[in-house]
Amino acid sequence: MENKKNSTRDRELTLSRKLNAPVELVWEAWTKPEHIANWWGPDGFTNTISTMDVKPGGEWNLVMHGPDGRDYDNKSVFREIVLHKKIVYEHVSYPKFIATIEFEEQGEATFITWHMLFASAEEFIQVVKTFKADEGLKQNIEKLSQYLTGMNVKN
Amino acid sequence: MLALIFASTYLHIIMKARRDVYQAIADPTRRAIIGMIADQPHNVNSIAEKFEVSRQAISLHVRILTDCGLVIVKQRGRDRFCEARLDRLSEVSAWVDRYRQHWESKIDALETYIDKLKKQRDGKQKK
Repeated sequence: MENKKNSTRDRELTLSRKLNAPVELVWEAWTKPEHIANWWGPDGFTNTISTMDVKPGGEWNLVMHGPDGRDYDNKSVFREIVLHKKIVYEHVSYPKFIATIEFEEQGEATFITWHMLFASAEEFIQVVKTFKADEGLKQNIEKLSQYLTGMNVKN
Repeated sequence: MLALIFASTYLHIIMKARRDVYQAIADPTRRAIIGMIADQPHNVNSIAEKFEVSRQAISLHVRILTDCGLVIVKQRGRDRFCEARLDRLSEVSAWVDRYRQHWESKIDALETYIDKLKKQRDGKQKK
């Protein structure tokens, strides 16, 4: 109630990882379309990047092609770029969020912190709920295929 | 008239079926109510006093929370006390964890890709 406006706890995610590579390489893998296409998106997805203009105000348009043939449009705008240190982008298509990726040089390694702030708790809950629905769907398809395999064995 | 009663009962059943813990916490007032009664039960009137919305609106929020299984209402004399039942919230945190995993796997993929890139470049340098 009192801290309703200040607290972002209910609509953010923070992840971090120490990567075993110098910051220049990590930065390159993150900011060059020919590299990012190779690792962005969940398992089984491929990516097409039509625009990736890494500068403040620059657009980043990426389509993820799902294993089921569905395409997922991702439109973002870069808000802040600090070479080898920080990338801030705003995901302007659904779901709306601001991602801040910080790169910290640790000798030959790089510590990255990935922070995502959703527009509202409502939207964050909706995203998690949709994700839950998708996961549920995936599990259902798995169950169905297991079931069908079982049927084949019996026949 | 009878048809109207049936229709409204039916509608209530449909709405009830749609209610889940996500709907419960999707509204800031409902989240605030949960926060208020998490530690100790409050009566409906004292909850209503804390908010700048009508008592009817608070009653509706309490009813949704009850339907979602996050609150139970106990009658004590003339007062109706709201008690929090927060077990079901763990359902949400479990799914937030799954969603987090989704982003973790993106970083996994980045890590794997960088290792590959590094090996390629080291190989070239040695030649």
